[in-house]
Amino acid sequence: MKAHVLKWMKTWEFGLAVLLVLEILVLGAINPTFLNLENLLYSTSDFTHILLAALPLTLIIITAGIDISGVSIMGLASITLGLTWVAGVNIFIAMFIALGVGILAGMFNGAFVAATDVNPLVITLGSLFMFAGVAMGLPGLLDALGFKAYGAAGFAAYMYEGISGLPHSFNQIAHGGIGWAPYPLLIVLVFAAFLGVILHKTRFGRYLYLIGVNPDAARYSNVPVKSTLITVYALSGLGAALAGVVLTSYFTSARSDLGKEALLSIITVVVLGGADIYGGKGTIVGTLLAGFLIGFLRQGLLAMGVTSDVVPVVVGALLILVVALKLFVAAYNQRRLNQKALKMSEARR
Amino acid sequence: MSRIWRSRELLVFLLLILLVLVVGLINPNFWRARSLMHILNSSLILILVSIGEMFVILTRGIDVSVGAILGLSAVILGVALNAGVALPLAVLLALAVSVLAGMVNAVGITFLRVPPIIMTLGTLGVYRGLMLIITGGSWIETIPTSIKFFANWHILGVRFFIWVTLVIVIFTALLLRRFKKARYLYAVGDNEEGARLMDIPVRKTLFTAYTLAGLFAGIAAIIFVAQIGFVPMQAGNGQELRAIAADVLGGVNLTGGVGTPLSALVGAIFLTAVDSALVFVKVPGYWNNAVGGAILLAAVYLDYRVRRAVAAQQRQARAAVRKENNHLNPSTREEQA
Repeated sequence: MKAHVLKWMKTWEFGLAVLLVLEILVLGAINPTFLNLENLLYSTSDFTHILLAALPLTLIIITAGIDISGVSIMGLASITLGLTWVAGVNIFIAMFIALGVGILAGMFNGAFVAATDVNPLVITLGSLFMFAGVAMGLPGLLDALGFKAYGAAGFAAYMYEGISGLPHSFNQIAHGGIGWAPYPLLIVLVFAAFLGVILHKTRFGRYLYLIGVNPDAARYSNVPVKSTLITVYALSGLGAALAGVVLTSYFTSARSDLGKEALLSIITVVVLGGADIYGGKGTIVGTLLAGFLIGFLRQGLLAMGVTSDVVPVVVGALLILVVALKLFVAAYNQRRLNQKALKMSEARR
Repeated sequence: MSRIWRSRELLVFLLLILLVLVVGLINPNFWRARSLMHILNSSLILILVSIGEMFVILTRGIDVSVGAILGLSAVILGVALNAGVALPLAVLLALAVSVLAGMVNAVGITFLRVPPIIMTLGTLGVYRGLMLIITGGSWIETIPTSIKFFANWHILGVRFFIWVTLVIVIFTALLLRRFKKARYLYAVGDNEEGARLMDIPVRKTLFTAYTLAGLFAGIAAIIFVAQIGFVPMQAGNGQELRAIAADVLGGVNLTGGVGTPLSALVGAIFLTAVDSALVFVKVPGYWNNAVGGAILLAAVYLDYRVRRAVAAQQRQARAAVRKENNHLNPSTREEQA
């Protein structure tokens, strides 16, 4: 039992958890309002979209892939939601259509990755542009076809402010909650639990690690590599679409450029969470903790009066520092092990 | 010679000509020398950033901070000029900052061994943040006209910056063909371990690649400021992704070791030409990204199919040769059995 706890204390996730607690305490010491639990929970709504995209991206990075198109899928889902709603569809059915579009977009990426040997970065770079372009072009196309996607203010006003005037019940998604827990946070936790079970408790999850470590071995051991990849990219599309829906509700308007700035934060969260960009490593808990760590850090910095311009500097520097530190520790441990082995072999001689 | 005909650069170049022909048929104004020159002129920034990115991709790395370096250098140039620094000095300062930014990436990647995408993603945030901190988030307007002069300076009827870019492209192309140390970039990208065994200074080569990526982003920044005449805070935003797209389109392979400055040149001009072409066939500007992305995906897919077909052909040829040998020399077959 004791050994079990000790082992757990050496994990990356435990380190993140300690850091998270320390961070909240330090920020609380500087600004006591930060320790108010209700405030703390509600402030998560500012960054839940990053977690929703980062959680399924963890699964992709475990397969040694990457998906940078999520930031475009957010906008695509948002504008799909808005346009179908304007077309007279119930807002919640529109929401499911938007999520479906996200899944389809993800499946497109997955099918491309599975069918070719082209680097996933290139594929999702292409689809990043394509999805963003479609999201930008869709309203104009519909307008040219005579479908009026905008209110009395006209097309120009729409291009500026997006599709607003969404029903109150929909806007409650981002602004309402159960007790102290806001809905977006609950969505993140449910999504994380779902992905956590898939990744850590199913055969599908084991396949992901195997594909990441050695895709050829996976193929030879009869792992359905293609369908696994398509599923995992579809999950990423779903996560991004969820993020798009939550953001739409948060800003109470559907826009095609929502989430555009989130790419750096999303990848930072996944990597800080312990996923290895070369595949084979990563956990859902790690990504979840790293998401809160970065999110609260941002909140704390802003609350301390640091301008939002400085935030990316801190986040970027933190990303580099953490990865460098991790590599250093790994190299140090390796060296110690080597020396130990050397000593043992000498003693045996 | 046959290598040239099968090259991706030529394929994209032919596609470019096809694009110009087709769009010209729809709107003959596109065929005018002025429109074509305009396309060339507006692709200069992307060409330079793409060549810088190419050095890094050749080594099997990636640099997503070049757009941010462009923005940072542009801000430095703008601030220096507004502070009354002489033009040559301000340009040198901007270039120095871009080289320094590239070297920071290089240190992280070669000495701290941080994976390139993580390192440059981190510095992307840092450089973009610095850019905002320096300016306080407001645009730099009222840039002295001394630098704008260069953007409109024509030599033999062609803009000065087009000449500059042309010289740089030719120079780097020759360098990468003829200069042994430049060939190291290919060796390291193709097989890092092998390169090390052959006594190629891998670390130094990687260091140079990232530094050059910074320098080229800096040169692009100078053209940017001269052409636009002010520095918006979005300067260089997303330029890294466009540069990677241009390189890949032109045939630079992300798995390292394959590509030339001509790839970057042709890819960048093609992407810019698509943007202009859409204007000429009266497609609204916001479709640019969709078309650019679709073309990139189509190009890499086509490339994949061609590569596979070639590989299958080679396999068949080998099998045929083996069969023939067995036929001529039955004893080997018995030996194998």
